[in-house]
Amino acid sequence: MAKGASGSQAATLVPRAGGGASTGGSAAARAPPTAAGLRKRTTRSSGSGAGRQSGAGGGLNFYTDDAPGLKMSPVVVVFISVGFIIFVTVLHIVGKLRGI
Amino acid sequence: MVRPLELVRPFLTLLPDIELPERRVAFREKAAYTAVALFVFLVCSQLPLYGIKTNSGSDPFYWARVIMASNRGTCMELGISPIVTSGLVMQLLAGSKLIDVDNSVKADRELLNGAQKLLGVLITIGEAVAYVVSGMYGDVRELGAGNAILIIVQLFFAGIIVICLDEMLQHGYGLGSGISLFIATNICESIIWKAFSPYTVAGPRGVEFEGAIIALFHLLLTRGDKVRALKEAFYRNSLPNVLQLMSTIAIFMVVIYFQGFRVDLPVRSKQRRGAQQNYPIKLFYTSNMPIILQSALVSNLYFISQLLYKRYGGNILVQLLGKWQEVDMSGQMHPVGGLVYYISAPHSLSQVAANPLHALVYVAFMLGACALFSKTWIEVSGSSANDVAKQLREQQMFLQGHRDTVQSLKKELNRYIPTAAAFGGMCIGALTIVADFMGAIGSGTGILLAVTIIYQYFEAYEKEKAQGQMLF
Repeated sequence: MAKGASGSQAATLVPRAGGGASTGGSAAARAPPTAAGLRKRTTRSSGSGAGRQSGAGGGLNFYTDDAPGLKMSPVVVVFISVGFIIFVTVLHIVGKLRGI
Repeated sequence: MVRPLELVRPFLTLLPDIELPERRVAFREKAAYTAVALFVFLVCSQLPLYGIKTNSGSDPFYWARVIMASNRGTCMELGISPIVTSGLVMQLLAGSKLIDVDNSVKADRELLNGAQKLLGVLITIGEAVAYVVSGMYGDVRELGAGNAILIIVQLFFAGIIVICLDEMLQHGYGLGSGISLFIATNICESIIWKAFSPYTVAGPRGVEFEGAIIALFHLLLTRGDKVRALKEAFYRNSLPNVLQLMSTIAIFMVVIYFQGFRVDLPVRSKQRRGAQQNYPIKLFYTSNMPIILQSALVSNLYFISQLLYKRYGGNILVQLLGKWQEVDMSGQMHPVGGLVYYISAPHSLSQVAANPLHALVYVAFMLGACALFSKTWIEVSGSSANDVAKQLREQQMFLQGHRDTVQSLKKELNRYIPTAAAFGGMCIGALTIVADFMGAIGSGTGILLAVTIIYQYFEAYEKEKAQGQMLF
């Protein structure tokens, strides 16, 4: 239920996304002109990395956030992968039997 | 105008998505899920694909095998390459503002992640079809349409499973991420294998064991001349030798030693007065990211150059990009000229002496690329001075002896973070060169990745232990 709610919320949030981006841009424009490199950094990161909490060092967090999609529990994933392994093994066995 | 990212939305419902855990997952449960994921990965990387005819010929991805955790001819043929490639592409697109994403909006983050996953699935399908059609498993006509489709289906499902396993671990059911787990396992496996492999190979001076340690004992026991036996075990050329193993261990130690290098910034909390903490800025601020990016770049360059050279070998531009030749009997192509040759590692001291320019360009490229990628990565991943300042500010922390504004925090952090990122990236690059040159097992890139990942796991474990003690 909570997931469904988050999905609809996502849909309503869309128009606001553009507004957020524009304010980010203006904030960057307002940034005091210190070194040129610093200004570049502020303009860039104000949009790209503000909300991402991957911690210092970044690391390999590619799929961290939740996305709407086919919901699966981890147990299902484990079963699917074991099923896949069995499927390929059976393919090999069937292939061997038919080959003889 | 419709934003490019919005085009992904209709596909989102089709993509598999792992539920977020509703409660905090216990450490034992996490360990169990991690072990299961590892088990699935290991089985898949040993299980041969059904329906392949041949598995020989030049391997265009030999350079990428290590970082992509893939195994030839098995279900893990693609390994994590779809995930890594799609992740890098999306991060770089977002970082370079080609697609606009506002990371503070949840919907945007969801869309970006969905796009990443979709791209991952598409790359999986694309790579699977390309592998089969290009005849890597034998001529398509020889395979037959049924078998060809079966191979594609197997590769596709294996790819989906890897994506799901990675997401499962990332969502807090396991330790770390699937990607790093699989990379580290693959490299450690090859190191252990090369040290203790019981296979025997018929060499010019009788039968020898493949594994370095086993060969050492075997040679010492069977040869009459013990000194020559030792020499053989330490310096043999074609098989893993003890010296390589020792250099591997040495590199391990050095990297772990360097991991401890850091600058501690004293921070004070506003809420709890008097409580002083340290905010550490590590030398390896971006950890192994520079090498991952660098090797992804190089392996793609290799792949493109090799393809072009096979098709249009006569073209002068293609030759400038890279000339390829089979060096040994294995049918493996190696770069021998052009741009690609200059960014490939020299194999021995004699090669360095023969072409010092090659070695120089290679070193300069490695150091430069690592430093540059490291600096871009802090912007893309949200660990730049600006973001850290904001984070500290949200936690009501301020630097001791400085004014408590985001500006002054940022200024102070800017003194350290970009330097740490660039210099740390260069150090990582230098260590990779040294490891490659000492002939460390599993290539310099591989060793560096393995050590940094294992160290991350060690840190995560320590953190988990500390939290557990606080809770109970």
